[in-house]
Amino acid sequence: MTGSKISKRYAKALLSLGQEDGNYAAYGENLKEFAGLCADNPEFSKVIGNPVFSVDDRKKVLNAVLEKSSFADYVKNLLRLLLDQNRIGGIEDVSANYTRLTDEISNIIRADIITARPLKDEAMGKLDAVLAKITSKTVKTNVEEDESLIGGLVVKIGDLVLDGSVRAQLEGLKESLKRGEYN
Amino acid sequence: MIRFTSKKGQTFLIVGMTLLFAMILCGFAFASGGEGAAEGHDQMLNLFYRILNFTLLVIILFVVVKKTSMLRFFGERRAEIKEKLEALTKERQTAESRSRELEKKLAEFEIQKKEILEQFRAEGAKEKARIISEARERAAQLISQVDHTIEREIQGATERLKQEVVEMAAQRAEEIISKGIKDSDQDHLVNEFIKSVEKLH
Repeated sequence: MTGSKISKRYAKALLSLGQEDGNYAAYGENLKEFAGLCADNPEFSKVIGNPVFSVDDRKKVLNAVLEKSSFADYVKNLLRLLLDQNRIGGIEDVSANYTRLTDEISNIIRADIITARPLKDEAMGKLDAVLAKITSKTVKTNVEEDESLIGGLVVKIGDLVLDGSVRAQLEGLKESLKRGEYN
Repeated sequence: MIRFTSKKGQTFLIVGMTLLFAMILCGFAFASGGEGAAEGHDQMLNLFYRILNFTLLVIILFVVVKKTSMLRFFGERRAEIKEKLEALTKERQTAESRSRELEKKLAEFEIQKKEILEQFRAEGAKEKARIISEARERAAQLISQVDHTIEREIQGATERLKQEVVEMAAQRAEEIISKGIKDSDQDHLVNEFIKSVEKLH
């Protein structure tokens, strides 16, 4: 919880700078890219986040990577600051918080769609529209497949879960039978 | 009439009576001898010796009795026996009195014994009735508890069986639906989902 709050502060600080110069979306992409780099290269992540190595040594490694990147200066400075404060390991949290904050500014909401079978484009379009309608926001969807749903789909928007899967209906039917509602 | 109450008087009386009796016997013997003088003389002499012998015997007895204080011994013995007899009479009376008291107490004890036995019998009967009553009550409680337990067990078993049947039915339904579901079904489900989400707005 404390780490998340701190990550949010760093994200807010970068966002305020991005809003001033109008590049907050690009900063978000930079952060996302760096977080992806760390996730894809765990050895690199371990080196720059390991306090056994001196800060200078770690910073040299980080700078070597940053020099080859096209990240904005504010983003580079933020990453260096995180390393100085031994919080570079929380880059994914910072990136996620930054994305949430930029989504709020841009009136965007993200929805996770889990479907038993691939959705047709027509159905996807209808779903985006209806989700935008009920949330009154622009919806960015992330679609995943899960055969255990049997049929139908599940939509998660923040804390809201809309479960239209066959598995959920079977579970509901099973619980109703156990409670004796059909006796 | 002269009374010989003392011991000495009694002694004199005995001696005197003995001598008188001897002289009378000598007189009878002398009177009977008349015909044969020599024969009579021998008889008289014989009688005389006998009387003398008897007199000496009496004197010796008198002396012996007097010297050995036999009279006093027998008197004391008599008094002693009399005292003992009186004491024994008193003891007998005391014993009889004690016996009567004991008999009376025994009778009282018998009555008390009967009362105690009756009381114990009554208490025993009361206790028996109480124990039987409690045992019946306890038995009724146990039977009731057992009935409830059986009822709960049956309900539990029924419930478990129902749960198992539902689980199996759900699993079987899932298998059947998984095998039978088609793309058209998925499209239908998605459309239904979209319609139901629209209704939320």
